Amino acid sequence: MIELERASRWYGQILGLNDVTCKIPAGLNALLGPNGAGKSTMLRLVTGQLRPTRGKVTVFGEKPFANPKVFRRLGYCPENENSYDEMTGREFVTMLAAMGDIRPPKLASRVSEVIEFVGMTANADRQIGGYSKGMRQRVKLAQGIVHDPDVLILDEPLNGLDPVGRRQITGMLRELAEQGKCVVISSHILHEVEQLTRNILLIHRGRLLAQGDIYQIRSLIDAHPHRISIRTETGRALAKWLLDLPYILSVRLQNPEGTLLEIETRAPDQFYAQFPEVVLEGGFVVHSFESPDNNLEAVFRYLVGE
Amino acid sequence: MSDFYLFRNAVRDLLRPKRLVAALVLGTLPALVAGIWRATAKAGGFNAEVVYNALAGNLIFGFILVILAVIFGTGVISQEIEQKTITYLLTRPLPRWRIALAKFLAASTGITLTLWVSMLLLALVSFGGAGFSMERLGKDALVLPVGALAYGSVFLLVATLLNRPLLWGLAYAFGWESWASTMPGHFQKLSIMAYLRVLAPHPQPEGESMDLSNLLSAMNTHDISPTFAGRVMVGVVLVALALALTLFSFREYVPRDDTD
Repeated sequence: MIELERASRWYGQILGLNDVTCKIPAGLNALLGPNGAGKSTMLRLVTGQLRPTRGKVTVFGEKPFANPKVFRRLGYCPENENSYDEMTGREFVTMLAAMGDIRPPKLASRVSEVIEFVGMTANADRQIGGYSKGMRQRVKLAQGIVHDPDVLILDEPLNGLDPVGRRQITGMLRELAEQGKCVVISSHILHEVEQLTRNILLIHRGRLLAQGDIYQIRSLIDAHPHRISIRTETGRALAKWLLDLPYILSVRLQNPEGTLLEIETRAPDQFYAQFPEVVLEGGFVVHSFESPDNNLEAVFRYLVGE
Repeated sequence: MSDFYLFRNAVRDLLRPKRLVAALVLGTLPALVAGIWRATAKAGGFNAEVVYNALAGNLIFGFILVILAVIFGTGVISQEIEQKTITYLLTRPLPRWRIALAKFLAASTGITLTLWVSMLLLALVSFGGAGFSMERLGKDALVLPVGALAYGSVFLLVATLLNRPLLWGLAYAFGWESWASTMPGHFQKLSIMAYLRVLAPHPQPEGESMDLSNLLSAMNTHDISPTFAGRVMVGVVLVALALALTLFSFREYVPRDDTD
């Protein structure tokens, strides 16, 4: 649906996006990177607000810049919270829906439908100026989906939301992705995205560092063995067993009591497959096991070399 | 349909209390001055014709029209950029030129309505409800929207071309426009106001005193026929508007302080 081919974007002397090539498929995708990484630049290129300085950006096979054909099938929620504060939420969504070729009598019913979907029915007729941050995010989402786009782009949609609001918005995004739409959200908060999707694009200093399934990406980072922590009552005995396994690189006791082990392996999948067998055979008591670096934060840290 | 919604919302935006109050204050200014003039004039010394012409020419055409056109003409685009709401408009399946045109027409309508109210109030206060020439009023009423469109399209063009369009617009309106019309030679033909004065003249009777700018203008006459003035105004509107809409369709507008 979305394709970037060696796309670069300069702002005068400043490089916003550097030689990015990628395809973004249907489903829920997260564009990750710290502030200033180039996420918003990339989204602005995809949403046709900017042209690439070099390379090519296409959406549905078309160049998106000022292209109504693309905008008919694309919804966008910008990062900023500015809006038409003197309009009501309903007026705002209605105006943008009308600009999306939705005509009466369908217009009013479609607006009500999306307002209900984002949980704003009770507040839709209040002025946006009086909305909380969460309400603004919801009404922004409503305008983005009102014309039923195939691609939905959201720039930092979870910013400033309370946990309940965050859960509700992520639920809505999942629902849209399940309908077969391509949903792209940008975020600089890794754990937030981790709970939302496994399909990520990692961007740093304008460059795309990695794209794909978070766990696959992690497994490809050979330079950093996979660490797994195991909480057990029989640490020393378990450590001995584990060291006999060929794919275990090291085993460390993390506390004097020997109840917390940390192993390093380059074959985490093999370990996870065999570990229950080891536990049963040795009669070990294992309380929990987890991978402290099988998460976005670690992947990101390894990829940027920090 | 979508153009209508844009137009309607832009008009409603002009009717927000703050803007409405500002427009009303500006609009009633000529009538207020006329009222003070009438109240302070010696018995028999109040000439309604002179007062109407002076205030319509200098305040309504020379100031209110221009200031409203600068604010609303440049505001068609710059307000959306400053509020960072332009993103919503530019990511909709509507050609960009239609977005700008709908908003421009709404701004021109707002300017014209304010000017008509101002002109009617001035006529009522000056002539006291009787004795004014309907022909004069009709002509002014017809030329005011022409001025709103001409100035508005020029300031829309300024807004599509330059950063800080309001400053450039004010410099043009109160710098170039006042200067060009008083310069010797053919400079006045480069001023929109010169053509509006031909289309809607507000002559001072013989023997009346004149300020310096009016005196210079009177000394620096060039034959501009009403037909020619009308054609030039139509040309200015068409060329400035076409350029502005074309530029708006091709330029990138990213809200300031919002680039990562």
